[in-house]
Amino acid sequence: MLIYFQLFLEFFRIGLFSFGGGYATLPFLYHISDVHHWYTPKQLSDMLAISSITPGPVGVNVATFAGFTTSGLLGALIATTSVILPSYFLVIIISKLLEKFKKNKKVQAAIYGLKPAGCGLLTAVALNIFKDNVHSILAFVIFLVLLGMTFKQKRDPLFYLGISAIVGIIAGVFHLI
Amino acid sequence: MEKTFWNIYKTFFKVGTLLLGGGYVILPLLQSELNEKRGWATDDELCEFYALGQSVPGIIAANMSIFVGYKLLGQKGAFAAATGIVTPAFLAIVLIAEILEELIKFHFINSIFWGVGIGVVILVLLAVKEMWNKSVVDKFSFAIFLGAFILSGILKVSPALIIIASAIAGIIYKLKTDKAEGGKEC
Repeated sequence: MLIYFQLFLEFFRIGLFSFGGGYATLPFLYHISDVHHWYTPKQLSDMLAISSITPGPVGVNVATFAGFTTSGLLGALIATTSVILPSYFLVIIISKLLEKFKKNKKVQAAIYGLKPAGCGLLTAVALNIFKDNVHSILAFVIFLVLLGMTFKQKRDPLFYLGISAIVGIIAGVFHLI
Repeated sequence: MEKTFWNIYKTFFKVGTLLLGGGYVILPLLQSELNEKRGWATDDELCEFYALGQSVPGIIAANMSIFVGYKLLGQKGAFAAATGIVTPAFLAIVLIAEILEELIKFHFINSIFWGVGIGVVILVLLAVKEMWNKSVVDKFSFAIFLGAFILSGILKVSPALIIIASAIAGIIYKLKTDKAEGGKEC
């Protein structure tokens, strides 16, 4: 019973404090693996890879997955609901006070402060995921090539997922992994 | 199509199914489903909800859906949109998680995960870049960026604490600079 309550608290906290979209939930999910050991960081980066190629917002996918890994179907349901709950209430409140919200100086100042923090948190996560997923010279070379492509022109995220999946299949066929 | 609870749920369920690789693609998807196909909202309204969705904590795609749902049918619409956008993600993950043990026995599947693992690093870096462009605008915001990176990455401080502290820092800093600027004008 306690685990479900803890799940609710942790994921509600994620929903309330993560700024910058689905990937911004990752610093919190890594923090949970440090504190509660419900899953390992390696498991989390696998969940993220699967979530990225599954329908739905990545943040929802990865919350469902982490909840499921922690305590099965009910865990998945609790994690998904509690990660959305803060958004749900906040958006409805803001919808009612829309004009005031946009003009409020304190709200704007708070957002000005917490956005770069969200960016800093995600940068730390990027390093973690890099360490978990890029182990070999081959992986590092593929990473560099993909990174180079991002500088050339703006592409859909699906492009990078597609390319990396295909490269993975090819590497698998030739037993390079 | 009429704006009923069930129709709103179905519309967002469809958008949730089409969302892949990060919530950023929700804007064009909603523009096509809600404006072009159903005439429920204009592109301008959707762009504004997209921007607003980013200034609320949580998952942007969900935030934006709830904003749009509320606009379409009040509380009912918000509930329909929120559950609609989440259902496909929930079902897909629960199904995959159930059979994950079986899946990873296949060398082929493992190869895909190996490759996608590298692609995901790129996607996260792209998200970092996008956030950087919108948030690191001066020395103060750069200091917050660096502080958050060090506190979280090296010292493992709780992200929630970092977010609260930086929001307060933002308010204090803005109030001080506003006062200073105000003083000059006088």
